[in-house]
Amino acid sequence: MFRVENVTFRYGSVVALDNVSLHIQEGKRSALLGANGSGKSTLLRMLDGLCFPDSGAISFRGDTIDSLSLEDDKFAFAFRRRVGLVFQNPDVQLFNPTVFDEVAFGPLQMRWLKAEIRERVETTLKTLEITHLKDRPPHRLSGGEKKRVAIASVLVLDPEVLLLDEPTAALDPRSQNQIIDLLIGWGEGKKTVITATHDLGLVEDIADDCFLLQSGTLVAHGAPAGILENQTLLRSSNLIHEHRHSHPALGIHTHPHTHRT
Amino acid sequence: MHIPDGYLSPSTCAALYAGSTPFWYVSLQKMNRRLNTQAVPLLSVFAAFSFVIMMFNLPLPGGTTGHAVGVGIASIVLGPWGSILAISVALVIQAIFFGDGGITAIGANCFNMAIVGSLVAYAVYRVIAGRAAIESPRRVVAAAIAGYCAINASAFFAAIEFGIQPMLFHDASGTPLYAPYPLHIAVPAMMIGHLTIAGLAETIVSGGVVAYLQRAEPVLLKTTAPGASMNGDPVGWTGLRPLWIALAVLLILTPLGILAAGAAWGEWVPEDFSTPQARQQIAAASGNQAPPVHVPAGLQKLASVWTAPMPRYAPPILKSAQLGYILSAMVGTGLIVLAFLGGAWIFGRFRS
Amino acid sequence: MRKPRTFIERTIGSLSDGLNFAALADDSARSGGMLQRVDPRVKVAGMLAMIVSVAVTHSLIAIAGMLLIAVFFAVVSQISLLDLARWVWMPVLFFTGCIALPAIFITPGARVYGPITAQGLRTASYLLLRAETAVSLSALLVLSTRWAHILKALRVLRLPVVFVVILGMTYRYLFLILETALDMFESRESRTVGVLEGTDRRRLATATVGVLLSKSYHLSADVHLAMQSRGFRGEVYMLDDFTMRGIDWCWLFLFSAVAMTVVWVGR
Repeated sequence: MFRVENVTFRYGSVVALDNVSLHIQEGKRSALLGANGSGKSTLLRMLDGLCFPDSGAISFRGDTIDSLSLEDDKFAFAFRRRVGLVFQNPDVQLFNPTVFDEVAFGPLQMRWLKAEIRERVETTLKTLEITHLKDRPPHRLSGGEKKRVAIASVLVLDPEVLLLDEPTAALDPRSQNQIIDLLIGWGEGKKTVITATHDLGLVEDIADDCFLLQSGTLVAHGAPAGILENQTLLRSSNLIHEHRHSHPALGIHTHPHTHRT
Repeated sequence: MHIPDGYLSPSTCAALYAGSTPFWYVSLQKMNRRLNTQAVPLLSVFAAFSFVIMMFNLPLPGGTTGHAVGVGIASIVLGPWGSILAISVALVIQAIFFGDGGITAIGANCFNMAIVGSLVAYAVYRVIAGRAAIESPRRVVAAAIAGYCAINASAFFAAIEFGIQPMLFHDASGTPLYAPYPLHIAVPAMMIGHLTIAGLAETIVSGGVVAYLQRAEPVLLKTTAPGASMNGDPVGWTGLRPLWIALAVLLILTPLGILAAGAAWGEWVPEDFSTPQARQQIAAASGNQAPPVHVPAGLQKLASVWTAPMPRYAPPILKSAQLGYILSAMVGTGLIVLAFLGGAWIFGRFRS
Repeated sequence: MRKPRTFIERTIGSLSDGLNFAALADDSARSGGMLQRVDPRVKVAGMLAMIVSVAVTHSLIAIAGMLLIAVFFAVVSQISLLDLARWVWMPVLFFTGCIALPAIFITPGARVYGPITAQGLRTASYLLLRAETAVSLSALLVLSTRWAHILKALRVLRLPVVFVVILGMTYRYLFLILETALDMFESRESRTVGVLEGTDRRRLATATVGVLLSKSYHLSADVHLAMQSRGFRGEVYMLDDFTMRGIDWCWLFLFSAVAMTVVWVGR
């Protein structure tokens, strides 16, 4: 579905992505695994056509995604509707005066009919259990509520692809679990989900295919189980660490934390 | 400096709304053309930023604190058009939502602070910074001066708007209906606070933030630095410094003029022709020729045409003549510098 | 004698005040008072008309009458007069009062008592009454109408959509930046022992402004991406959800009548 071919991208003098190539299959749930600075967020934004490679190409269902192709209204609207991105920081995504307005923003841009928009927004709010928040301004929402509104604002367009940047970041455990439940339930195998995360505990639940990124290069690809077994690789990618901590039976000692249960 | 409702007559307010509209329109066109779709989020967030800055209590030399508008840095980072819009939006929200500044006075406040302020700040900054490198200290000084000039220009326009109210809008018994202080009170009253406290606050913020950005994020200074040289400008700032120092010294020495007794030759008012002491002075300074008994007709007629805002260089409120002299000198110098900078900018625009 | 507050404390005070007033306004606008139930467009147009009438009229009595009407509206809309006094009336009294006071003595005209002239008293009254009444009316609007609705209602004044959208976005991000600034100052306050030197204070203040500017710029860039991700290509749209009921027309008539009376009485 997505083909990333020899993509390189620089922020000034820093190389964010270095000759990365990968292929994301339709209907699959994939994870871009990597520590902060590994390039996974950049790659995610590229898949959403928000920034474009310095060299190499990205294509979606055979169509190249670059600034030129997105200039065409018809193509751009179709693409933006089919692919949705939930940003890591929900404040960035909540820029309308109320929750209702926020969820309605996408459909308004797509120029749907107003009656249809209202109906879709109400349905989406109900699915995410945030109907009671619909008149709230975003600055009066908790972290978990903001995240759900952010997800609602993307799901309202009924995308075929959902891109998620660190969906559980800065959330308390209960909100985290709610989001994970939601994501596992969504799509049921017919939708494509790509999650960028450094949370090892999350990966096995939400992905069937895993790409490991390290300093802008793709270092491993395969099923989550396999990658998570490879502790050397995970350590060199800064995803696991050794540190001292205490166990009730053993006292203070050191061993690698893999964050797997 | 946020003008509340009731200080300016409806016609003044309407005139200033009308005066602001073309600037708003042009600014929006320019921003859209330059930034395409990014104008909306950039202006919104920047307006929010300048709103918050206006609430800061800034520490000033001497232990006082003051508030800045942020028009200096807005103009430098966004350019004049973006600054006009961002500051206007901040002012509108302050007026409607927080009651800071009147609703009918939105046009006036935007005109003074957002429009005049941004244009003056930009002009002064570009002229003084020239083509200096982005990191050069000259830009910090340019920013500081730009902020100072901008705030004082805004205050000056506001003062004029206040000062003409009693003259133009009063009822039959002579009661001023809106701002009650005429020009010769309004101008010094407004300018004193801004030449000192508010001006300083803006200066410090403008200079300080440019200095910070030079270290932390120089790319934000690029908008208003086209053609900035890579390595420092050879002429540099040091060339002009002696001139500024000399000007400052002269400014402080102006009260010496009081020591010269009597009026300068030719600078007489009609009353002098009837006062014996003054008549003696005129005679002594004119080769012992006695002045005419009656006031010359031309002098009589023209003497009342213009009443200076600061008659005799001493605003009525100030007791000290010396302070009046220095203040007059600062205002006069400031106005001349502004006029030259304005002329230079206009000239530069025609050339480029 | 109380230690004078540092600039950090005073700034924290201003920023907190901003947040508190906004919270008050939002809560007040959601309560069930009389004005809260009027169509926002009627309120925006009506309040504007009344504020303009106060600016235009030459009758002190009419302005005072309008102020009383504003107080009445506040009471029936469950808006606390104490809140109005704290946030609106006292600050204006202090600010405009100080400016109006000298006018009593120096305005030329018929002497009433010492240097005080009748014209001086009248002009000071005009200034103070107009300022208090106008700000009371706009406070009524803000305390009885949610900001999101005020924005949409502004369209009735034929303001361009892009302007209204920018106002809405600015308001929304105001709070984010306010809170960020508050956090920065509070954390600094808790780490400061003793008194800072003048230059250090200034550097702290300008560095805070600089950091906020930087964060604001990056925030706006990210918001831009988020907007584009959901189809934004430069056009802005709004959902309008107001419908006029019979009672709203009555209110509109009432507001217009009051405004016109005030102008006519003081023509």
